[in-house]
Amino acid sequence: MSPNLRIWVAVKHGVDVGLTRADPATGVVALEGAPRKTSDFDRNAVEEAVRVRERSGGTVTAVSVGPPSAREALREALALGADEAVLFTDPAVPRFDTRAVARALAATCRTLGGFDLLLLGEGSTDHFGGVVGARVASELGVADLAYVRKLTVEPEGVVAERDLEREVEVLSARFPVVVTVGQEINTPRVPTFMSNLKASKKTIRQVGPAEVNLPASSLAPVQTTLRVAVPQVARKQVPLTGNSPDELARELLSRLRDEGVWP
Amino acid sequence: MNTGPVLCYSEEPELAEELLRWTHHQKLSEGAPVAAAVLGALPADLPQRYAAAGAQEVYRLAAEAPAFPEAGVLAEALAIVVREAKPRLVLLASTKRGKQVVGRLAGLLDWPVATGVNELRRDGEAWVLEREALSGNAVSVEQFPGGAAIFALTTGQGPPAAASYPLQIREVTGAFPPSRVERREQRPKGGGGVHLETAERIVTVGRGLKKREDIPMVEALARALNASVGCTRPLAAEAGWFSDDHWIGLTGHRVKPKLYVALGVSGAVQHLVGMRGSRIVVAVNQDPNAPILGQADYRITADLYSLVPALLRALGVPG
Repeated sequence: MSPNLRIWVAVKHGVDVGLTRADPATGVVALEGAPRKTSDFDRNAVEEAVRVRERSGGTVTAVSVGPPSAREALREALALGADEAVLFTDPAVPRFDTRAVARALAATCRTLGGFDLLLLGEGSTDHFGGVVGARVASELGVADLAYVRKLTVEPEGVVAERDLEREVEVLSARFPVVVTVGQEINTPRVPTFMSNLKASKKTIRQVGPAEVNLPASSLAPVQTTLRVAVPQVARKQVPLTGNSPDELARELLSRLRDEGVWP
Repeated sequence: MNTGPVLCYSEEPELAEELLRWTHHQKLSEGAPVAAAVLGALPADLPQRYAAAGAQEVYRLAAEAPAFPEAGVLAEALAIVVREAKPRLVLLASTKRGKQVVGRLAGLLDWPVATGVNELRRDGEAWVLEREALSGNAVSVEQFPGGAAIFALTTGQGPPAAASYPLQIREVTGAFPPSRVERREQRPKGGGGVHLETAERIVTVGRGLKKREDIPMVEALARALNASVGCTRPLAAEAGWFSDDHWIGLTGHRVKPKLYVALGVSGAVQHLVGMRGSRIVVAVNQDPNAPILGQADYRITADLYSLVPALLRALGVPG
C-alpha cells in the first residue's frame, strides 16, 4: 500500500436547498443571496477521503471551485479531517458552470502534485446535474467509478461497490481514479470544537487559472439560467382533529373513503 | 445551423426507443433525420424496433465491444459515431449510467450539456430546456446556445408512438478503446418483491418511530390499508431497519401512489422529492412545524404511537 496516497476531495459550497424559499404565488426560488453550505454528498466524499487516509495513509487535499465564499466549505472539510485545502477562484468568471468546475478541478489536481484518488459527491444538492465527476475524469483521461457506496483501497487501485437503478456492480480500477459517492456510503462525522479550532488555523491555498495552466477563456459559462421555480402542487391542507385518537382515526378513514383512495 | 441528425443513444433499447419517440413528439429534428446510435453488435430485431419508434437512420460503430463497456468506453465509442454523424443534438437517457456517459462525452467533445431534462424546445437560435434542480424540488429553465449539445432526458414519461420510417443503417468504422474498469461482480438488487414505484398506497415511517420493535405496528397498518411500507433515509441508511428498496427520497425511490401516509416523517427536502407525485398525502407528526405537514392534504398533529393503534382499532385489526 502506498504510504503516500494522494487523496483529493472536491467540495461545493452550494445553495442550502432546505433553507430556500419559494414565492408563494409564482413558486420562483430566489437563489441570489440564498444561504449556502457544503453540498450534502460532498460531506460524504470528505468523510470517505478521511477514512481512506485513516486506513491506508496518505494526505487528503480538499479542493473547491467557486467564489471566495467557497472557503467556508473548505474550512468545514478541514474540520472534518482534510489535511490541506485549495480554493480555485477567478474574479473574471461570473459563475462556474459544470464545464468550468470540471476543467478547474482537473487542472488543479493535475498541476498541484497530482492525485491517486479523487472523490466527489455524485451530484450537487443545488444544481443537481450529476456530471462533474465523469467530466473531470474525462478531462484527466482516467477511469471514474460512479454511485459508489462501498470503497476498498488496494495496493494498485480501488474496488468499489456501486448502486445503479436495478443492479449492484462491483468494479475495480487502477490509480489514478475518480470516485463519486452518495449518502449511502457513510455517515459523516460531526466537527468538534477542537477540530474546528484546528481547521481555523490552517491556511487555504488560493489559485486561479494562471497557477494551474488553464486558459482563462476556457471557463466562460455556456448556459444561462432563466428561472428556478418549485412546481406548485396544490395540497388541501386540511387539519384533522378529534377529541380522542379513536375519533381522529375514524375521521381520517372517512376522509380517505370520500377521496376514493381507500378501501 | 447544423443540418445533421438528432442522434439518440442508450445501451438499453427501450430507453433509446423512448428518446426516438420523444424527438418526434417534440419536433426536435426540424426536418433533419432522427437517428439512433448503436455501439458494437446490432441485434437482429433492433433496426425494426428503432424504425417503429421513428428512427430514419442507425449509425452503428462496427467493432467488437469489450466484455464490460464501462462509461468511459461507451463515451469514447459514441464520440467516434458523433464525429461521423455530425449531429445537431445528442440525446441520452438521464439514468445513472446515462449521466455518467454524458459527463464523459461532454469532456471529450466540449459541448454544452444538461441532465434531468423534462422539456426541450427551440427558441429562435437557442435551446430552452426545463430540468430538475435543487435536489429535484424545483424546475430550472435554462437557455443554451443553439449549436450542438448533449442533453440527457428524464425517461419513463412514455411519449406517444411515432410514425415508422424507412431505415438506413450507416456503418461507422472505428474501435472501442480499452476499458479502464474491470467488473468483478454484477447482481440484481435484492428487493423482497417491494416495488414502491407502482404501489397504489404507501405507509411511510420516519424518525418518529422510536425503535425497531415498533415496525410490526406500522406493517400491520400497511396491511390493513392494503399498502406498501416505505421509510425515510435515516431508517434505511443509518439505522438499517429497512432495506434500500423501502427508502423513498432523492437517492431512494420516487413514488406516485394514490394514497401516501407519512408517519413521524419530518419532511426533509430530499424526502419530499420522492413523494411529491402522490395524489392524496396524509401527514402525522407531533411537531406542528414539521415541513411534511405543509405538503399534506390531511394534516394531523399527533403522536403516531397514539394514532396508529387507534387506526388499527378502527380498521378492526385485533390488537
